[in-house]
Amino acid sequence: MMDWLSGYEVLFQLTLSLTLLALSLQIPLRMGVVSFASVGYFAIGGYTTAILVVHSGWSTWPAVVAGTVIAGVIAYLLGLGIAHLNGLYLAMATVSFSMILSVVAVNGGSLTGGPIGLFGVMGDATTWHFFIIVILVIIAISFTERGRLSRRFDAIREDPQLASAMGINVVRYRRLSFLISGAIGGLAGSMSVLMKTTISPESIGFGLIVLALTVIIVGGQGSWVGAVVGSVFFLWMPQTLDFVGTWEAVLYGLIVAVAAIYLPGGVVAVYKNWRYRRYVAHRNATLPEAVGASQGGE
Amino acid sequence: MSAQTTASVAGSSYDYEPTLECRDVSVYYGGIKAVDGITLGLRPGEVSGILGPNGSGKSTLLGAVTRMVKLTRGQVLFQGKNYSSVGPGKVIGLGISRTFQTVRLLPDRSVYDNIILSTDVVCRGERDQVEDFVRSAIARTGLEGYEGLRPSELSYGVQRRVEIARAIAAQPKLLLLDEPTAGMNKNERAEIGALLRSLQAEGLTQLLVEHDVAMMVDTCDYLYAMNFGSLIAEGAPEDVVREPAVQEAYLGKHGRHHA
Repeated sequence: MMDWLSGYEVLFQLTLSLTLLALSLQIPLRMGVVSFASVGYFAIGGYTTAILVVHSGWSTWPAVVAGTVIAGVIAYLLGLGIAHLNGLYLAMATVSFSMILSVVAVNGGSLTGGPIGLFGVMGDATTWHFFIIVILVIIAISFTERGRLSRRFDAIREDPQLASAMGINVVRYRRLSFLISGAIGGLAGSMSVLMKTTISPESIGFGLIVLALTVIIVGGQGSWVGAVVGSVFFLWMPQTLDFVGTWEAVLYGLIVAVAAIYLPGGVVAVYKNWRYRRYVAHRNATLPEAVGASQGGE
Repeated sequence: MSAQTTASVAGSSYDYEPTLECRDVSVYYGGIKAVDGITLGLRPGEVSGILGPNGSGKSTLLGAVTRMVKLTRGQVLFQGKNYSSVGPGKVIGLGISRTFQTVRLLPDRSVYDNIILSTDVVCRGERDQVEDFVRSAIARTGLEGYEGLRPSELSYGVQRRVEIARAIAAQPKLLLLDEPTAGMNKNERAEIGALLRSLQAEGLTQLLVEHDVAMMVDTCDYLYAMNFGSLIAEGAPEDVVREPAVQEAYLGKHGRHHA
């Protein structure tokens, strides 16, 4: 196992940081906030850690904490400014935010290393540290996917006015979603820069937004499982699909399109719906008379 | 206008403590007076109704009472306490629950989850009791056996009952119902009417907003009629619907003679 893994260590690291990035995108989505600012948080976390390690000689873990916290704080402030926007407008504002950051990185002079970026971000963190951190984040997120928190998230996403009538402070939750998304995105950037030992404006561009988004679309936006499944799928499939060669891009486009059209909740929703259908079938078989259903209009 | 005996704005002129009191409540949108100077006080334990044609301002009034709509003027009081400035998210915590004009249930959640949603915030200090509240709401609305199903599996009438169950699971002292029988067939209407009556027997104060005259006369103890944002009549339901102003609002000036 260990030998096998060492051959794929870089890919494994990429999977971990993409998973975190996807989780960062997912948290606001679960509250109906369509935000693409996660790539911006990733950039803030990555550059903060890189600058502190390279220029200021900070040690690894304080630099990771700083990257995470600063990204979280900036995300929260961004949320204060734009959380009241809706749908497309919010999406555009967050895309702009991410784009502005990559422009800043290009024009940051010696601080950010300009278009070439920063090199030699050496730290003590290993892949296993990174792995454990991702597991801890997933455990924390899994608590929001059960019980009252998960119900509140659903209500805020599906019907904010209803959520408010149920006593849920929608604005506070949405702002909190920015904070959490920012911290996780920043953490992803911090860890990623330590693994790769380098960061450049090119690595925080629009392509990363698209990649994170496709992960969520294929995996599913409702659960951390979707982020993991999607990340593994998109990074490990090329290894097994070598034989399709140049057709790879076409195959990928096809997979995303099919997922978006036929699996609106991703792979995770397929499983959940299957389980629910099984429950209904079982219930109808045991109490046929109790169902007063389905003939009524919606 | 003869049946209109509105209380004076200045102080409480009721011989009971109103569960809900509106004092000169007004909501203007620019130049449009959606609600204009409504004053009323609900008697505890009664089912009151607000009757009015579409666009008469009754839904806006309900919005004002649930704090989803900003008051231009006036006050809303719950059990004597002015809550005109609290946000919409705090209203359920005061003891005011509502249902909506259209069915608003979470589609991917079971009936049970949809109902427990209302207790999540309100019953924070009573975690152990939440389960009991939900079970009791399910029993009182006749939803046993439906708990695990999602809304799409239920008929429209059952969906509306889930909404009422969700509203009462929060243990409200006042239940606001926005057109609870809209789009229902006769049997389903009768069922909802009976359900509201049984909740009244438990002592729950209710305010119904409807434009269905027959349903209102059958269900309400006291009726207000609204048109163009103002109250045009109030009193016993049979009297209110016979008021010339109410007939006019519903049937037009000429229709009254034929009616």
